[in-house]
Amino acid sequence: MNRVAIVGAGITDCRSRWVEATYWDLFQQATRSCLEDAKMNASEVDSVVYGIYNDIFEHQAIPESSLTGIIGMACKPGTRVTSGGATGFYAMRTAIMEVASGMSECVLCIGGEKATDCYDPQSKTATPMVIDTIAKSWDPFFEYPLGATASDSYMQMCMGYNDTYPGDIDDTVVRARIIEMLCRQGNKNPFGQRRDETVTVEQVLASRWIIAPFLRLLEACMYTEGAAGVIFASEKKAREIEERTGVPPIWIKGVGAANESYQTGRGGSYKPLSSIVSDRVAAERAYAMAGVRPSDIQLVELHDAFIAQFMITMGEMGFVPLGKTRKLVDDGIMADIRELGDDKAPKKGQLLLNPSGGLIFGGHFVGGSNMFSMWSARREMLRRQIPLALIHGTGAINAVFGGAIVVEMEDGGAR
Amino acid sequence: MSERKMILGNVWNLPNEVSEVRGKDPGTYLQFNTHMVTFYQQTYGELSRFFLGLRDGRLIGSQCTNCKQVMVPAATWHCPECNFAEMHEIDLPHRGVLAGTAPITIFPSASFIGQAPFCRGYVDVATDAKVASFLPARLRTTTGLPRPGIFVKGVELKLVFEDNRIGRITDIFFVPMSEVPAALRDKEPLLASALNFETPPMPEVERTAAAKTSLGEALSAVRKLAEKIPRSPRAQKDLSGQTHAIGVRTGGGDFTLHVAASKIRVEDGLTPKADFTLVAADPSVFTRWVADGSLTDAAVEGSLWLPHKEAFGVLPILDRLPRSVRRDVK
Repeated sequence: MNRVAIVGAGITDCRSRWVEATYWDLFQQATRSCLEDAKMNASEVDSVVYGIYNDIFEHQAIPESSLTGIIGMACKPGTRVTSGGATGFYAMRTAIMEVASGMSECVLCIGGEKATDCYDPQSKTATPMVIDTIAKSWDPFFEYPLGATASDSYMQMCMGYNDTYPGDIDDTVVRARIIEMLCRQGNKNPFGQRRDETVTVEQVLASRWIIAPFLRLLEACMYTEGAAGVIFASEKKAREIEERTGVPPIWIKGVGAANESYQTGRGGSYKPLSSIVSDRVAAERAYAMAGVRPSDIQLVELHDAFIAQFMITMGEMGFVPLGKTRKLVDDGIMADIRELGDDKAPKKGQLLLNPSGGLIFGGHFVGGSNMFSMWSARREMLRRQIPLALIHGTGAINAVFGGAIVVEMEDGGAR
Repeated sequence: MSERKMILGNVWNLPNEVSEVRGKDPGTYLQFNTHMVTFYQQTYGELSRFFLGLRDGRLIGSQCTNCKQVMVPAATWHCPECNFAEMHEIDLPHRGVLAGTAPITIFPSASFIGQAPFCRGYVDVATDAKVASFLPARLRTTTGLPRPGIFVKGVELKLVFEDNRIGRITDIFFVPMSEVPAALRDKEPLLASALNFETPPMPEVERTAAAKTSLGEALSAVRKLAEKIPRSPRAQKDLSGQTHAIGVRTGGGDFTLHVAASKIRVEDGLTPKADFTLVAADPSVFTRWVADGSLTDAAVEGSLWLPHKEAFGVLPILDRLPRSVRRDVK
């Protein structure tokens, strides 16, 4: 397998709604941003992978077809990937495989979403229709007719975890403290959707319940309109681009993925209710391929749909023990951005977790959210000289899709 | 002839219009009303047997001839674990155990507005099998609206069939076995009409001196709020068109909240004319509500008992009042 490098990345402003732009323009903005970052022309890109989660949001059955020319990718191979919340992860996996195989020298992986054009005539707001569209991710025979939604399904996993490990994610103050820390980090993301907001522990605890007892309004991820891209290149092409940009490439070390069974159950291959097996298996595979352990990694950009799930995922990926994920806060494992400033790496034993503000404060445009995470991880590695980072994606009902990518700085970074 | 129930009601529509919308940039942009709807006559195919079973008052699963695992609902007839060996139809018991504490949906998607709060969970039905799937199902209680503490992991459940079944998963639901009269627990199928969902028993509250003091504080706060409403255009708008007599039973005593003519009025004691009665052992639920808290949250947390969904529908209106008053009345 050939080495694969990240040579450029770019994102749009993350907004709750972009009335100024269609998804054509959002994808074009992100493409331009990626190419400018890598000092490249569109003509140098061999092929494109699109991460677009949902045809209903884009309101077109083959949405990538109409934007191909607009983003300068006419007459190049183009693959659209759609894998629920993990769309961005799977799009990057596809792009990485394309370079690793030698099929392409340089691949643009671009994802985004136009979500809040959806509109519910009953409530005269977008949200119930956005939720309904996502709820169509459930099968039409058994689950959708019961009124299943994305929030409920992730909460089912959190409640199942809590049945097995009480006293961990059910501490609302611990969850609120994580939110407060993520908010401070989100304030530093120049493209983040909630960069101007201040959310305190008290505000989290006073916010409305969405699902008791694990989800208050201020604990949930957002709906975002935006796009993000990453350019993957072969070693040869990466060296050429490094000459132009002066920025060292970031190398793909390990990629792991696992999709659990849709059906929940007891034993066999059924999806258990008490754990997110997809996250665990995906991370273990990525570590094995990279030849690293979780303790080697100090920067994580994880897909935080909700804070309780954020905690479970950190446990599943081996950073903290399952049942004791609150150690992230109790033991000060989660680094405080006020101490790190804009250029320091976390201390030994500490983790920089979702410096972008994550999907809760940064942005969550489903098809490109994991590229957004990769954009942030690369940015933080370069400016803080953090040698290794992990990028995580989750998706589909009951968090059954999981993915993890381990990336490494050139020569393990300067420090 | 009664009108047939249609897939989409009239509310699922928009005028054929293009409207202006302000950009952040700033500038004027346009948005057009449109839709992306298709209709289906979706075949149940191999799943038809399961739904035919439901119509007949049976719960069937598929069992592998080789490994004996059970899949319920019968989602396939070939075992994915055993190189797709044949699976046979088996009848399953009309009872089960909740496999994990179930979430309660408060804010449903557009297609389910009006049904909240509702509870959905995974039920372990084929408990005799070593390996088995869980059955996703609606969970209902005969004791009012779902609230935390009822549908917790391990609770024993009874399968109930709707009287009129059409072949949808909503033809069935589960209730806690403890709520089913002993004589009906082994009945298969047990029909919904045999249980009483209409008049849930009001929970008992213990009267205490502390709660009485607390009620005094709560009533004083609610009355102050009521006094300010005529001076708050926002609060009057919140209440416009609303008429309710809401009984409230607490550990400190009872009162009635009258909502009419864009005002609220507090009356001591329960009026027999109350539309419905709420129950809160701790009256401070209402003190917190007035202090910008939320009755909906109290219901979600279980500290406020509600008899039915109609009562739940009134709470968001009441929840808006403290904030409206705070913004309008200095």
